[in-house]
Amino acid sequence: MERVSKRFPGTIAVDEVSFEVYAGEVHALVGENGAGKSTLMKMLAGSFDDYTGAIRINGREVKLHTPTMAKKYGIGMIYQELSLARPISIAENLLAGRLPRKGPFLDKGAIKKQARALLKRVGLDLDTDLPIEDISQHEAQLVEIAKVLGNNPCILVMDEPTSALSHEEVERLFEIIKTLKNRGISIVYISHHLPEVFRIADRVTVMRDGKKITTKPIAEITREEIVQMMVGRSVKEFYKRDERAIGGPRLVVEGLSRFGFFHDVSFEARRGEILGICGLSGAGRTELARVLVGLDRADEGRMELDGRELKGSSMADFLGQGVAYLTEDRKTEGLALRLPVDDNILAPIVDRLTAGLFYSKRRGEATVKRLIGELSIYPPDPSRPVGNLSGGNQQKVLLAKWLASEPKLLILDEPTRGVDIGAKMTIHSSIEKLAREGVAVILISSDLPELVGLSDRVMIMRKGHFTREMSFAECTEESLLLAANGEGVA
Amino acid sequence: MAKVAATTADRRTVGSSLAGRIFNVTGIYGIAILFLALGALLEATGVIHRFLTPENMLNIVNAATMVGIVAMGMAFVTYSGNFADMSVPTTMGFTGYICIALLKFGFLPALLGAVVAALLIGLLNGFVVGKLKANPIIWTLAVNYMTMGIIRLVWVNKQIYPDMQQGVGAGTVALFDDIYRYRLFGTIGLPIVILAVMVALGQFVLTKTSFGARLKLIGSSLRAAKFTGVHVERLVAAAFVLSAFAAAVAGLAVTSLTRVGAWYNGTGYDFMAVTVVVIGGVTLAGGRGSILGVLGGALIIGILNNITTLLGIGTFSQNMIRGAIFIVVVGINAKSLRSLGRDDA
Repeated sequence: MERVSKRFPGTIAVDEVSFEVYAGEVHALVGENGAGKSTLMKMLAGSFDDYTGAIRINGREVKLHTPTMAKKYGIGMIYQELSLARPISIAENLLAGRLPRKGPFLDKGAIKKQARALLKRVGLDLDTDLPIEDISQHEAQLVEIAKVLGNNPCILVMDEPTSALSHEEVERLFEIIKTLKNRGISIVYISHHLPEVFRIADRVTVMRDGKKITTKPIAEITREEIVQMMVGRSVKEFYKRDERAIGGPRLVVEGLSRFGFFHDVSFEARRGEILGICGLSGAGRTELARVLVGLDRADEGRMELDGRELKGSSMADFLGQGVAYLTEDRKTEGLALRLPVDDNILAPIVDRLTAGLFYSKRRGEATVKRLIGELSIYPPDPSRPVGNLSGGNQQKVLLAKWLASEPKLLILDEPTRGVDIGAKMTIHSSIEKLAREGVAVILISSDLPELVGLSDRVMIMRKGHFTREMSFAECTEESLLLAANGEGVA
Repeated sequence: MAKVAATTADRRTVGSSLAGRIFNVTGIYGIAILFLALGALLEATGVIHRFLTPENMLNIVNAATMVGIVAMGMAFVTYSGNFADMSVPTTMGFTGYICIALLKFGFLPALLGAVVAALLIGLLNGFVVGKLKANPIIWTLAVNYMTMGIIRLVWVNKQIYPDMQQGVGAGTVALFDDIYRYRLFGTIGLPIVILAVMVALGQFVLTKTSFGARLKLIGSSLRAAKFTGVHVERLVAAAFVLSAFAAAVAGLAVTSLTRVGAWYNGTGYDFMAVTVVVIGGVTLAGGRGSILGVLGGALIIGILNNITTLLGIGTFSQNMIRGAIFIVVVGINAKSLRSLGRDDA
């Protein structure tokens, strides 16, 4: 790939990046969220027909404008989200689009044989007639790989392939990668997880803010150097902490359970404190948040906000008591993309803008203007539909919406997922400002530098339980990750 | 070399075409005037006669009034993102039956009873669609047939007449007849007055109350509304209740006009009202449009019906023309919204 660029409205996602992969090499691609890794790889997969620059495969320039073209040139993609159809069988998934036939009928015998051969390549021995929904997540991940291998790719792109896998399964995946490599297949390996990168990759390319920072053989670079290049400055520098006065308890939670999701959770969040919650996906973090904000009911336990019991039958009741929840899913749950910026920001405070029978958007004009300024939302036009804004600015609007509600307790679920570094910094400083004003902030995040950098304390959540609490001093990215995985000294 | 060239062209700028520009300035009423001009042209060329006469203009308004009333309520359902209330036809018929059957208890109790019956249907729709998340079209269609079944069961397939009910005085019957026939200041029909009041109230509710603001959020994104702490179920239910109320008003007017309680009194009003709502700019995607626009839509349908009737086109062909217009409007709407970058649909 030579000097390839891709623009989205308002941002350049990938800016003149040149990138090469040798045959039989594992090439790691690292960078923070929003660095442009996925966009770069989507270009390779033929997802965009409007990129600039050139892509060459084996020296020949190719145009990759559709996924079919990419497939034809031997590019295989394995995405984070599985592309398998859940109710149909493994065999049919594996051979989708090219099921062997005998005359007008499907050739059941050949299907089974070919499917088994493919499964064997990834070391799986399963009944190929089982539907995908009956096998485990990691088996499905391997089936996905087998499916892509079925197209005989010469370049294989893996996007965070280990995020859903356990330790042993990761080992198995690495074995498979080694075999593929020996067969001369080039592998692009996208990962956040640096230890993995050091184990498996031959060379590594670091990206930041849509630009390539460097490409180096793995032996010539250290972990610290990579982190530094990814972040652009060291983490401690990046999060310049200023002292906040932490006050008395604001939210007190005692023995809270929602059966099947989390059990016997107790903690308190204090005024002016940013309390991080760390855990793998599925640990029950979002489920806990949903109960704290009244979207779901608790089966056991009680919650108290400023000494008064927090209860109600709907989210509106909790909202009225001063709780706000920024959802992790900005596009479907957070914002009404078709509505303009101001309607979105004012949505939680419709009641406050209503006098008697009369609702007036104009009464909220000043609030909207102030928040657009504070969060430097671009373009600063309250009447622009939110869907036309860049991801980072959408996320700022979502935060502005909950800032408008002036909460006592703000629960943030992945507040900077998929946003560019500039928006991230704005959002972080806004969160800190909120804490300085005495709001208790609960920060749920998978972004470890973010947790380490912002939190005063971090609670580790694992399989529905709070397993550990770490003070700011104890927190490092590694210690959090180990704790979340249930390892390390307890 | 690979720099992306800056460009000033923007697909999202509105009104590049002449038609688009006219529409943006005059809105739905510009189109209504275009249709009037078309009628005048046809009259001038001698194809139709007596189009631009005061009587005919009144005909147009009368024709637009009934469907307009139904559309005022339907608009709230569409605005809430639930497409349409297909139970309108038999809700209208049912209201007529109930009112006539209750006339023996006096005029006002009969009116009240009829409206309450309709509101119960609306409440049922609202509960099932809002709370239980049933598909609105399928569910309301089912309610439509269910209500029809109830009518046929209770009144054993008979039509009922206000002046043939036992124990109903002539005065009461006269009052009932007056629902449609009363003329304010001797000129303006009562249904027109009702429609005007409904337009004013509807426009107010949609743009100037918290209910309207929240319904907009629900129509634009149901999930975002839920995650903002909006009582989605209650407000969607309220939209269906409003639709049922409007259908009740129209049902009473139609029954008063025909002087007969019949199951078919509301036939065709479902699709006609949706057409009016959509032409009026309340898109099927929800959260967009205005009540004033819907009034314009009603006028356009009124003018169109009038012209086609004057042309001697039969009812079936008229239905076909309405259907075609519906398809064209929905198509244009979807396409222009998409190219404006305003729609994710």
